[in-house]
Amino acid sequence: MGKKAILEIKGYTKVYGEGRKAADNVNLTVESGDIYGFIGHNGAGKSTTIRAVVGVLDFTEGEILIDGHSVKTEPLECKKITAYIPDNPDLYENLTGIQYLDFIADVFEIGSSERQDSIKKYAEMFEIYDSLGDQISSYSHGMKQKLAIISALIHEPRLIVMDEPFVGLDPKASYILKQIMHEMCEKGTAIFFSTHVLETAEKLCNKVAIIKKGRITVSGSMEEIIGDQSLEEVFLEDEDEK
Amino acid sequence: MKNKNLILLKTMLDSTSQWNAYKYGSDKKKKGKIIGNTIGVALLYMMLMSYCILTCIGYGKLGLTRVIPSICALTISMLALVFTFFKTNGYLFNFKEYDMLMSLPFKPKTVAGCKFLYMYVKTLPWYLSISVSMLIGYAIYADITVYTVIIWLLMALLVPVIPMLAASFLGYIIARISAGFKKNNIVQTVLTFLLVIFAFSLRFIIESVFRDDRVEEALETLADSVNGITDIYIPAKWFAKAVTDTDILSFLLLTVTTIVLFEVLFILVGRSYREINSKLKNHAASGDFKMSGSKQRSILNAIAFKELRRIMGSSICMIQLFMGELLALLIGILVLFIDFDDLISTVTQGAPVTSAMLHPSISLIVYFLIGMVSSTAATPSLEGKNYWIVKSLPIPEKTLYQGKMLFNMYLTVPVAVFTTAAICISAKTPLLMSLLSVVLSVMLCAFSTAWGCVCGVKHIKLEWENEIEVVKQGTAITLYLLPNMIATMVLIVLSVFLGMKLNGNLVVIILIFIVTLLTFMSYRKVVKLCR
Repeated sequence: MGKKAILEIKGYTKVYGEGRKAADNVNLTVESGDIYGFIGHNGAGKSTTIRAVVGVLDFTEGEILIDGHSVKTEPLECKKITAYIPDNPDLYENLTGIQYLDFIADVFEIGSSERQDSIKKYAEMFEIYDSLGDQISSYSHGMKQKLAIISALIHEPRLIVMDEPFVGLDPKASYILKQIMHEMCEKGTAIFFSTHVLETAEKLCNKVAIIKKGRITVSGSMEEIIGDQSLEEVFLEDEDEK
Repeated sequence: MKNKNLILLKTMLDSTSQWNAYKYGSDKKKKGKIIGNTIGVALLYMMLMSYCILTCIGYGKLGLTRVIPSICALTISMLALVFTFFKTNGYLFNFKEYDMLMSLPFKPKTVAGCKFLYMYVKTLPWYLSISVSMLIGYAIYADITVYTVIIWLLMALLVPVIPMLAASFLGYIIARISAGFKKNNIVQTVLTFLLVIFAFSLRFIIESVFRDDRVEEALETLADSVNGITDIYIPAKWFAKAVTDTDILSFLLLTVTTIVLFEVLFILVGRSYREINSKLKNHAASGDFKMSGSKQRSILNAIAFKELRRIMGSSICMIQLFMGELLALLIGILVLFIDFDDLISTVTQGAPVTSAMLHPSISLIVYFLIGMVSSTAATPSLEGKNYWIVKSLPIPEKTLYQGKMLFNMYLTVPVAVFTTAAICISAKTPLLMSLLSVVLSVMLCAFSTAWGCVCGVKHIKLEWENEIEVVKQGTAITLYLLPNMIATMVLIVLSVFLGMKLNGNLVVIILIFIVTLLTFMSYRKVVKLCR
């Protein structure tokens, strides 16, 4: 059975004031079961693209489709099946961890027993179960990141979009997240994430795209792109090309 | 070498300056908004200045020109005291960039002092607009010289400082006490509420102690009353003396006292600044969570509950957004135990107003307490950096704002219904009018909610450094408050007047109809804005 396109970015362009292009004619497709790495320098346009995909940022031209629904014209349909984990999750600091997760679960209309099971499962995996009754303001950066990840997983999305998900996570949590990513992909979930850690991307992803000054310079399956080289070498070679 | 204090103060001012944002920003839409805001604020200044000049003309016509300087000093002092008190908690203590500032080579006293001066510089234009316009009003009737103008303007710079220092001292005491508790933000809120309630009731306490004695006498004339207050609040007397009697000694006394008090306060604050802030920023974590059932809520209730937690978690938000409800609740309880006519007599200083005259305006009086701030005017902007959460959720914007509106209804309706019913009982209002008044109160809550949301969504500001900028100084809050306050005051007077000419029930029914219409229009506007 052929893979289904979950995320399709077609000719996506984002122009800021004064005509500066943060993203220029970006095209890529993430299919079900893909772990798609999105790499590039700081300011290359990764976060801008990601924020447009999840409907947080408006864009100038192009089309972004999630499971066939347009982010522009059918944003709710897209958001119902998408989970987003930002790079620096600013969460509601005054809520306790469990109140925040309950809020997300309520909005995604997840039943009581169903949510309890998944919250317990993921919170225990990430070892923050005991802290769920504490205010988020008392959490460390890593704990906030873990809570954002759990909130993204509890509604079993078909597309998970993550911006630098491994930043701030301890080694064990990074390992667990990778395991979860594999599990989700086996179930047909598509994962699209940005990272600076090229070794992780190389080992974890089956597809990758490199973005430079808002343009995709390289994209495709990991095997095709790296060949005999490492992803780091490919990335640096691409950087040297003017 | 540049003075470090000045560098810090300048940086603080630049970081929130509209001019800076306009000068260096590239977003034309944002620049347009800044221009719009500036025009709006300029109009407010013009309104305030016109009001002050007209007030002075009124005093002049009544032959009370000599009390204008004292009234000017007292007005500015009172405003400075109240506004600073509500801001101290967010500006002096427990502010966002505390860690960053304290990691730099500044003394705690410098940081605290600069934070105070920041508050001062930010509010000074308002105080100056009052004093300059009152100077103009004074000049119309009094024989003034160049000296008067110079000394008036110089002293106008100093007049707000002492009350601001007093408010900061009170804020310091509250912060110091609450820092010793685990749930320090709750303690801070409760102490602030208690102090405000004490300040509100002070006049009644004084009256009950000196009944039929000095207070009655002192309030016989405005001039006596002003003189009485300036006898207690000496800096206002110095201002008046320096201006009217060309008394340079009074000018020097005000200057020296201001400087000395500033130094003393910030030496005191500086000593325990780190300790207080460390405790206030320390969030207790028990780490013993046990899953005990998780109730599923509807999406609207989930958003409303989230709003409750958001506001309950911040003493600044609680103080600003819950104060009206608390006062209304207290008055509701109070009128069940004391005669309503006695209360009217105390509030109106024995004016010939009876409870029967006020029957048609009971709902509006309650609304004057709870409707002057609406959480919906602030909560859209309060999302701030958390905006990504609601933006990435699978809910239409309309639902998000409906949830915020539901929260405001949960907050205001029970209090409005209780207080209206309690006043109706105490004022012996006929049953039909009592029921109509309760209906009107509920509709006023709905109007406040929807109109607040219009202002909140239309003037949403997600980039802010301090919650005070949203809940106290935001454009949305100001635009919500001003027309609302003026309209309510006019309607109270109008309903009393019409209640004497027409059937009181009819007046309330007309009001219900008008408010329902306005609510409907505001709600439709919210829906339109969400599109």
